[in-house]
Amino acid sequence: MKALTASAAFAVAFSLLAAGCGGGSKNAATTAVTSAAPAKPTCEHPLGWQQLANRIRADVYCPGWLPPPLTDQIRGQWNNINAVSPDRSYLESFIWQDTDSPNLSGEFHVVLRGYPGRTTIPTCLEGPSDKTPTPCFGGMHGHVTAGGIRATLYTVNQDVDAWHLLLLWHHKGGLYTVSEHLAPPLNYRKVVAFLKRELGSLVLIAPSRPS
Amino acid sequence: MSPTRRELLAGAAAGALGVLGVYELVDHLAGSPPQRPAPTVPELPEQHLLQGVQHVMQNDVEVIVPPLHHEVMTAKLEVDRAGLKDAQATLSDLLAKLDHDYVPTPAGLGVTVAWGLPYFHRLVPGAAGTHLPRDTRAGKPAVIDARTFPSDPGDTVLEANEVAILLRSDQRPNIDDALDRLRSSGLFHLTSLRRGFAGGAFDGGHSLPRTMAIAANVPGAELIPEGAELFLGFTSTQKAAFGPGKIANFETLGFVDLGRGGYFREGTHLHLSHVTEDLESWYVGFLFAERVTTAFKPGLEVPEGTQVVAQGPEQASTTTDVRRQFRASGRIGHSASIQSTSRLTAEVVGPDGTRYPKGTAVPIRADFNTLDNPFLFSDERGVIQEGPVAGVHFLSFNPSSDDFNRNRLAMDGVLPTGSLGIPPGDRAQGINSILSTTHRQNFLVPPRRNRSFPLAELPG
Repeated sequence: MKALTASAAFAVAFSLLAAGCGGGSKNAATTAVTSAAPAKPTCEHPLGWQQLANRIRADVYCPGWLPPPLTDQIRGQWNNINAVSPDRSYLESFIWQDTDSPNLSGEFHVVLRGYPGRTTIPTCLEGPSDKTPTPCFGGMHGHVTAGGIRATLYTVNQDVDAWHLLLLWHHKGGLYTVSEHLAPPLNYRKVVAFLKRELGSLVLIAPSRPS
Repeated sequence: MSPTRRELLAGAAAGALGVLGVYELVDHLAGSPPQRPAPTVPELPEQHLLQGVQHVMQNDVEVIVPPLHHEVMTAKLEVDRAGLKDAQATLSDLLAKLDHDYVPTPAGLGVTVAWGLPYFHRLVPGAAGTHLPRDTRAGKPAVIDARTFPSDPGDTVLEANEVAILLRSDQRPNIDDALDRLRSSGLFHLTSLRRGFAGGAFDGGHSLPRTMAIAANVPGAELIPEGAELFLGFTSTQKAAFGPGKIANFETLGFVDLGRGGYFREGTHLHLSHVTEDLESWYVGFLFAERVTTAFKPGLEVPEGTQVVAQGPEQASTTTDVRRQFRASGRIGHSASIQSTSRLTAEVVGPDGTRYPKGTAVPIRADFNTLDNPFLFSDERGVIQEGPVAGVHFLSFNPSSDDFNRNRLAMDGVLPTGSLGIPPGDRAQGINSILSTTHRQNFLVPPRRNRSFPLAELPG
């Protein structure tokens, strides 16, 4: 049963990706995903994101699209980390793993971060091997633009973002990231396409109480 | 960051062509072959030395422009002792005709015929006992069976081919013609074909490895820097990192005893292996600065994006340097660790009077990029794996097997003065954490005059 679910999830994810790259079928072309004038991204589960924005007293980004079966629901079944640090930075991690489907095992892991009031890349103390201070996001590798955001792509990242490709941008004096694990069934090209799609789907949610 | 239109078109073409078809893109992607000077000297007695190889300056470092196309054919021999002399004459004639038809340069065709120990043991055991050279430094024959090394995976195959023939040229048809003639001779039962490419970006054009890897859909291909000579992003064919002239000949450095008659004088030893490279781990797991540390040595700082890093005698590391680097950083660099055994520790004057200064490299590499997985062809069922994989067919000419082994052990942190105790494949052990060796074998490369079935003409 899990294998069937997994197959369906990958099929949906890849058909959406193909459609997003302009390679969709006639049917796909009729969906909101590939229409000539894409619908404004929507946050399916805004409550958790609103609470997060209120908690950190800063804007947060809800992903309007994540690779299925992931959803944007904070405290939902795929949200394995929901954390806010004393400096008001937040980390939302969404993960789906399959380990028992023949020829299909893999995972989708997307991490969204926000660092209100910070513009510099934070330092991680657990480098790859040296245990020395290392930029949490490194290996700058060009830019990706979507949804009105011009983000920088980083390829060598640490901690929860290790082995992820990561997009970083600034907003209102804060630093924000979305990253995705580079692991089967995805390759570099697909992860970059997924990230671009996720970037283009972000919905900005402002705190409802004055900061 | 994104593939260029050229790379995307190449990718589409490769998808339609399959793995073998990817190689047909080399000429298309590399553009015009490099302009090669005409050979100015007569044919060399060494068949492992290629003439007419061009040098260019990159980042103030002299870099060798290798031949564009490479192929290695390995085989068992369709010959028994009774037919040995006829076979010798047939192959000798075939090779002479290739020499006649093609100049021995990258513009023509480089042919190197190397013989495995199974050949000597099966067909010429008596003469081999008398004439095979001996490494007096190691107290062993100069050519011994290949071994595995600490960082090798448990399933590394130690091969037993009777012959390996290296073909190098800027012109693919020249190699194809030579292969056709060799295969038609009736002398060989092919055990494998190993194909690849080198160079291709020396005129400032696209990186051939990057473009080929993208075309082949190799994971991590898009992260290979533009202009890179190798999949791993650094240039390895700088002149100072190659042994000069006859330094890898058995007789040059004085630790190989050629015995009476010196039958194999002007010959050498060849190590042939296939190594896969995990490009995603290399580019997603290592920042540029760490890639420099890993590829060269700890503490080395070069501008971001540098591909050619000088590795002359002045920059070469000694065993003491490597130990000091390891104490300070907990890691070793790939080049530095190998240099501790592959560079001369004192000046040597060769038998022909040539002076080789301290710090001079000894091995002459002939390695090339490949997408074989692990070979293009194998006569053994189950060897060829699905899909292309980034890797290198590694060929190194050293004066002996032991000399190669010393270098390869140093690469694992096992220095002549003792092991540094780095766990096999550990990230601290240089580049080994992203490399995986699938096959190894050692061969003897006779001088040109004895390249066809060596020792067959002598009484058993």
